[in-house]
Amino acid sequence: MTRLSIEALEKRFDAVRAIAGIDMEVAQGEFVALLGPSGCGKTTTLRCIAGFESPSAGTICFDGDDVTGLPPEKRDIGMVFQNYALFPHMTVNGNLAFGLEMRDIAAGEVQRRIAEVLGLVQLDGLGERYPRQLSGGQQQRVALARALVIHPKLLLLDEPLANLDAKLRDEMRFFIRGLQKRIGITAIYVTHDQAEAMVMSDRIVVMFDGIIHQLGTAEDVYDRPATRAVASFIGLSNFFEGTFSGQVGVHYGLDTALGRIGCGAGFALTPGQKATAMIRPEAIGLASAVPNGAAAFQGTVAERYFLGNLADYRIKMADGSVLQVQQPATASFAPGAVVHVILPADRAWLVRERAP
Amino acid sequence: MKPGRAAYLTSVAAVYVFLMLPISIVVIASFNSGKYLRFPPEGFSLRWYAQFFASQPFMDALELSLVLAAVSTLAATLIGTPAALYYVRHAKNWRETFRLYTLAPLLLPEILTSIALLFLYYQIGLGTKTVAGLYFGHIVICVPFVFLQVTASLYNLSPAVEEAARSLGASPATVFRRITLPLIKPGIINGALFAFIISFDNVTISLLLKGVGTTTLPMQVFDYLRWDFDPTTAAASTVSILMTLGAVLAVDRLVGLRAMRY
Amino acid sequence: MSERPARPTKLPLGLLLALPVLVTVGALIVVPYVNIVIMSFRTPSTTRPYAPGFTIDNYARALTDSFYLELLGDTVRLAVMITALCLVIAYPAAYHLARTTSRWRGVLYALVLSPLLVGVVIRSFGWIILLANNGLINQMLRALELPALPLMYNEFGVVLALVHVFLPFMVLPLMGAIQGIDPRLEEAARSLGASRTKVFRRVVLPLSMPGVQSGCILVFVLSCGAYVTPALLGAGRVHTLTTEVVTMLDQFLWPRGAALALILASAGLIAVWLWAHFSGRTMRGLA
Ligand SMILES: Nc1ncnc2c1ncn2[C@@H]1O[C@H](COP(=O)(O)OP(=O)(O)OP(=O)(O)O)[C@@H](O)[C@H]1O
Ligand SMILES: [Mg+2]
Repeated sequence: MTRLSIEALEKRFDAVRAIAGIDMEVAQGEFVALLGPSGCGKTTTLRCIAGFESPSAGTICFDGDDVTGLPPEKRDIGMVFQNYALFPHMTVNGNLAFGLEMRDIAAGEVQRRIAEVLGLVQLDGLGERYPRQLSGGQQQRVALARALVIHPKLLLLDEPLANLDAKLRDEMRFFIRGLQKRIGITAIYVTHDQAEAMVMSDRIVVMFDGIIHQLGTAEDVYDRPATRAVASFIGLSNFFEGTFSGQVGVHYGLDTALGRIGCGAGFALTPGQKATAMIRPEAIGLASAVPNGAAAFQGTVAERYFLGNLADYRIKMADGSVLQVQQPATASFAPGAVVHVILPADRAWLVRERAP
Repeated sequence: MKPGRAAYLTSVAAVYVFLMLPISIVVIASFNSGKYLRFPPEGFSLRWYAQFFASQPFMDALELSLVLAAVSTLAATLIGTPAALYYVRHAKNWRETFRLYTLAPLLLPEILTSIALLFLYYQIGLGTKTVAGLYFGHIVICVPFVFLQVTASLYNLSPAVEEAARSLGASPATVFRRITLPLIKPGIINGALFAFIISFDNVTISLLLKGVGTTTLPMQVFDYLRWDFDPTTAAASTVSILMTLGAVLAVDRLVGLRAMRY
Repeated sequence: MSERPARPTKLPLGLLLALPVLVTVGALIVVPYVNIVIMSFRTPSTTRPYAPGFTIDNYARALTDSFYLELLGDTVRLAVMITALCLVIAYPAAYHLARTTSRWRGVLYALVLSPLLVGVVIRSFGWIILLANNGLINQMLRALELPALPLMYNEFGVVLALVHVFLPFMVLPLMGAIQGIDPRLEEAARSLGASRTKVFRRVVLPLSMPGVQSGCILVFVLSCGAYVTPALLGAGRVHTLTTEVVTMLDQFLWPRGAALALILASAGLIAVWLWAHFSGRTMRGLA
């Protein structure tokens, strides 16, 4: 159980700045996902933490101890690789014993720990198999067990589920998360799958182009995205560009092409400043009659798609823009119908164009 | 079957016959009882083998060939393996130059290498008085084969496996000993096999560099063929083919099949 | 904490690994070749390796004397012939090997490789038994009361045996190149109405060109430098540059032999240089 702090971390590969200065604190026992599109620097960050890449600048501390200069074998980490990287010439037991042998742990204790961890990952009885004699899911669990059996300070996982089929991936998400909670180990988990990040983690780090756009809980990044990039990357969103008109209570007024809409914000603005608001499709309300008390904008149903539990609408607005709206499939508006669109102020959120 | 396809398959079959024909003929000739191979063969006999094993010059040549091949294999393995590690894991800016440099003995015409070495030996006073020069020549032409095999096996070894070992607390030296070496062992052994065969069958290098009064098995066969036809050479050739085959099968039993599976 | 050196052990360890090969190839390839280049400019002498003084006469002679020019021409002509024959013979087999799904595939592959495991001398020996004046083929011809044919001690025998020796070096790169062509491309071409012949000419052949190039360069270089087979099957009656160079060594005309060998090698080296540009896949295929 270890606290991880990263300060002003930077990594250049010749001309490429794979990480362009990131800071983050991960608390003891916390599960943090690194999320972002391909090439944004997730793997590089993880490899810096593991010690496989030496940062161009910045520091990495475990529990306040600077480990930036330590080689990987001195960092006491457990790492799970995307293709598992099991030792093909060793049995499962051999793979699990390897890290313990490096720590000069007595044979009896090695046996005890292997048995314990095999139980933990539900692979009892498979110790004598070679990796090639295991299914993908089993190999994945051996990789996890091999990282955990050494009781590392930190568990690092780089897209460990990327090679599994959808159903198994779903199961493994809960399995890994459950195990991590039970052991109480601090974990950093790289993924480009937003659903995976949201389901598994305490907090999510959303990265673009080598910098952190947002570090927050799943609710934070979904309901209160920091930037337009975060809002677009995670879930679906509608954006409204406009001018800040002033604060009304907790809500910020934004004059858009549609009219004035109210929204929340995580930063201060001055009246007259340009700003962008976002709202999720399912947060938008549709009504056939003008609703009481709420600000509504008139539009026409352009298209309707049936998604099973939801209906997905494209609503053409007066200013020519098209909104994406999702409603329970029970209420139905036919294409061509005139509807009133409600944009609840407590579900709309101001986003920045660039990372803070 | 369409005539076009029949012609195609016939031509394919003809290639295999063509490839195997002269080798099979030598083996058949070695068991033929007459001095000249007739059609149909005159009868089965082991007399040429008896003559081969009774011939002191042939036995000396066989011994030298085996020792030479063994020494060259060992040396080429010890030189070519680290070179492959350097090429795959360490060489940066001059990678391709280094590869060409290491493969040079293979890329340059063997006869020219042989001549160049001969001149040099004479100029530095080594000449062909000792067999040392022969050993050097064989070693240098064997190195590229080890290099190619080990390079291929290193490419098949994912760096993540080595990183996994580092993350579990192994030092670079331990990673090499416990992970890298066992995993590239098939490549090393295959490379050694290639080196052995290349040295054991070589004529061009031996032709000019063999010491005075010594000769290797293929050289002995070569000399016999130049002056006279003697089925003892067929027996010698067959023995040499069998030894090569034996080495191949031994390596296959040792690592071949498992190498496939990794 | 920014003054930490990146991978401090990397450089010395790397050089240590490269050192053995640098020394070996340096001493046994680079030095002798530099030496032979110098030798080729020495004044020849029949009583000792070379006389004092330098000259370009060895090259001038080799490149003007009609005897040597003809020899060079013959060597290149033979090499071109061997390369062309290898290509034509190897292609169907390579295509078959690349595309077959037969369970004999492994055996066939081993058959293609197996001649490489048998020394050149032994393979040439097989051809001698077959082609000699009283060899198997001529015996059969006589038995059928047909006139015997001169099959050995001439270019026919040398070319035939060398095609055999170098065939695997053509099959392997061709097979690699053809394997790299998606079979669906051929199906697509057929579905667009192309006949099998057209598919071959317009799709397979152009796409396999890298393999054709690698194979041809390899066989050409090897043919130029071949010595053993011409010496055995030509038996002094077929002359190539290599057989001539070895004769010169016996006559102690070292500087002239050196010049001749280098002219031969530079023809080959130009081809090797081209080969290096067509990637290292060929040799890896051999491995
Ligand atoms: N060894 C390297 N040499 C040069 N550039 C590199 C190296 N490793 C990574 N990069 C570059 O750094 C950037 C970040 O790479 P990184 O592997 O961290 O991305 P990632 O977020 O893990 O992407 P993915 O989801 O595709 O795995 C990329 O532009 C990549 O091309
Ligand atoms: Mg990655």
